[in-house]
Amino acid sequence: MKDLDYGKLLSDYGNVLVLLILCLFVSFVTLEEQSPRSEAAAERLAKQIASKNSPGANVAILVRSGEGAEKFSKTLETALADAGLTVTTNVVGNPAAARAALESQDAPLPAIAADEHMIVFCREQLSKLAGEFPQLAKTAAYQPIKHKWPNFLKRDNLLNVLKQISIVAIIAIGMTMVIITAGIDLSVGSLIAFSGVITALTIQQLGGGDPSLTQFLLGSAAGILACAAIGFGTGGLVTLFNIPAFIVTLGVMFIAKGLAFIFSESAPVPIEGSFAWLGRGADFFGLPNSVVLMLLLYAIAHVVMTHTSVGRYIYAVGGNPEAARLSGVPVKWVLVLVYTLCGLLAGLGGVMEASLHTTGDPKSGTLVELQVIAAVVVGGTSLAGGQGKIFGTLVGALIIGVIRNGMNLTGVESHMQNVVYGVVILIAVMVDQLKNRGLKTAG
Amino acid sequence: MKKFINLIPAICLTAWLGCGGGGGDTKSKGVIAYSPLTLSNPFFKVIGDHIKAEAEKNGYTVRIVDPNMDVKKQSDQMDDFISSGVTAIILVPCDRLSVGPSVQAANKAGIPVFTVDAKCAAENAKIEGHVGTDNFQGGELAGKAMITALGDAGGKVLVLDFKKANSCVLRVAGFKKVIDAHNKTATGKIEIVSELDGNGDRTKGYQSTADALQAHEDLDAIFAINDPSALGAYTAVKEAKRDDKIKIIGFDGQLDGKQAIKDGKLYADPIQHPDKMGRQIVQLIMKYQAGEKFESETLIPATLYTKTEADQDPALK
Repeated sequence: MKDLDYGKLLSDYGNVLVLLILCLFVSFVTLEEQSPRSEAAAERLAKQIASKNSPGANVAILVRSGEGAEKFSKTLETALADAGLTVTTNVVGNPAAARAALESQDAPLPAIAADEHMIVFCREQLSKLAGEFPQLAKTAAYQPIKHKWPNFLKRDNLLNVLKQISIVAIIAIGMTMVIITAGIDLSVGSLIAFSGVITALTIQQLGGGDPSLTQFLLGSAAGILACAAIGFGTGGLVTLFNIPAFIVTLGVMFIAKGLAFIFSESAPVPIEGSFAWLGRGADFFGLPNSVVLMLLLYAIAHVVMTHTSVGRYIYAVGGNPEAARLSGVPVKWVLVLVYTLCGLLAGLGGVMEASLHTTGDPKSGTLVELQVIAAVVVGGTSLAGGQGKIFGTLVGALIIGVIRNGMNLTGVESHMQNVVYGVVILIAVMVDQLKNRGLKTAG
Repeated sequence: MKKFINLIPAICLTAWLGCGGGGGDTKSKGVIAYSPLTLSNPFFKVIGDHIKAEAEKNGYTVRIVDPNMDVKKQSDQMDDFISSGVTAIILVPCDRLSVGPSVQAANKAGIPVFTVDAKCAAENAKIEGHVGTDNFQGGELAGKAMITALGDAGGKVLVLDFKKANSCVLRVAGFKKVIDAHNKTATGKIEIVSELDGNGDRTKGYQSTADALQAHEDLDAIFAINDPSALGAYTAVKEAKRDDKIKIIGFDGQLDGKQAIKDGKLYADPIQHPDKMGRQIVQLIMKYQAGEKFESETLIPATLYTKTEADQDPALK
């Protein structure tokens, strides 16, 4: 009895375990020296400089511009002043600005406080500048003491991983439902392009160069609903004519891709910049908007799949359509519903992609259908239908996202990346098979 | 069996650690990141190899990724570069407009972005420097080679273009300028009978040429905007058994293009110099890093490569 529970636990949350191990591993390989930007680091640096220089000595601050740079340079300036030193210049900018600031120093400059980028500039250029500018002859550059921390576990990077999987993960919700009914939808990648183009064109038609929020919303609605309509059509063809979903959606894939190119006249359709809110904004506690949307949709989908009759119908249709029909499940309508939802979510993915690039690009979405299917399969949903979990798919998307991010951070060559993806998918399917066999022998 | 399966992930991860991982080199001055259009085109690989060599010589580490022509992938890669705080980014934009928001994100993070070969045309996206081929001048070279190839008689020409890439549009413009000037004075006129999309690849180059050969029985020459589409065109011409009559001019000077010139399959190529491009873009970054002034755009002239050059090329069989 105990053994069976253990097995069930592992089969339910096995991929969470895989994800955790993967995160640990990626953290380990991306361990690198980091230059801290905290208040404590600034104070330590100020103390270090004060201990090596006489009180009141001149110090220049050089920091590369970017997120948090202003704050760090301000903190550093206060800390240096508190330590009894005179800050002559405080540069937040590029190397050219740093050079200009150093060249314009008129009193001898014994010390420079720099970040990890500007310290390279100082090491390279100070000796060269010293000849021409005597005030720099005895200048020493200091930087905060480095500490080791994985690049992977930086807040920005973790948010990147979530942001990067958001589109695939959202479409994977619909795909999970389709696959649970033992179907497949190959058209979602093309629908991304189609939806993006429709959205961009609608916004352009309605708003011209300076569209309003309503026009953005109308444009997005047009893209999403157009894809939902296509999904409805797909579902209709699958149920009415009993054509295999693989074939129907293959046809739709070509049609949608072709239409995206025709409507856009083969050129990307630009959208005004503030449309980037959905794809690039971060308005909820610093979480990217696309990630918030993803989590919200997963919560809703989870409730639908586990606590409503619609969810139970979807599992029933996938498990045994004949039995489902006999017990009064409207099998055809359930199928039409899942393909419509899948189309709708692909449309939403297209809007998000268009927002990310502020362009409706007919080339976008290529091969995304395979990434979506991979996320679902790695997430533990069986292609045979009848079983699978919504949150499993999210974990599947995360596993693929973490592997991708880890390989990019460590610079694994791209063809090798493809090999790794392939191996991960095969392992997922093998584990799935073993799990099924294990359950059967146990039962 | 089960034990073995449990081992597989461990083996994969170890392989990963072996082939790419290891983290950063503490002695490095920083990381220069390179995201080209695609690494399956050898042209961008050569640029990457020379970026690596030149940057490592100057004490930097290089990180090369492959977006495989997908602008979504490229922008994901840019996000990764930004969060790991690289020194500079070298980009061959997968789309000259859609890449804009990613470049803006790098701008905001204070990371300088440089482009090589193709430019970024997005608004409000700051590019610090660009190194490319003088494509218009290269197109002119192709035009001159075409005049030599056809001689006094002139003839009918098919152009395989790729309008999505601005560089290729410039090549065709340079080509046409020379041909038009020639036609004003010459007796044997050169007529461009058809301009078809070659998509810059072998498959489409082959298909479009095969169609054009049906439509124009008296075609004399083809100008293709790069080597893959020129080689695709050659396959179609060979299949129609008209390779003794139709002369093909390509562009790029990739290894298989050069070999085809030596074998007499192609007539000539204005060649680009990816090695110089890779080195010069790194030199621009060095100047930027030193805070020195530099020309924000460097165009490297193309040179004409014919059978004479190919016969002396030690890199060819």
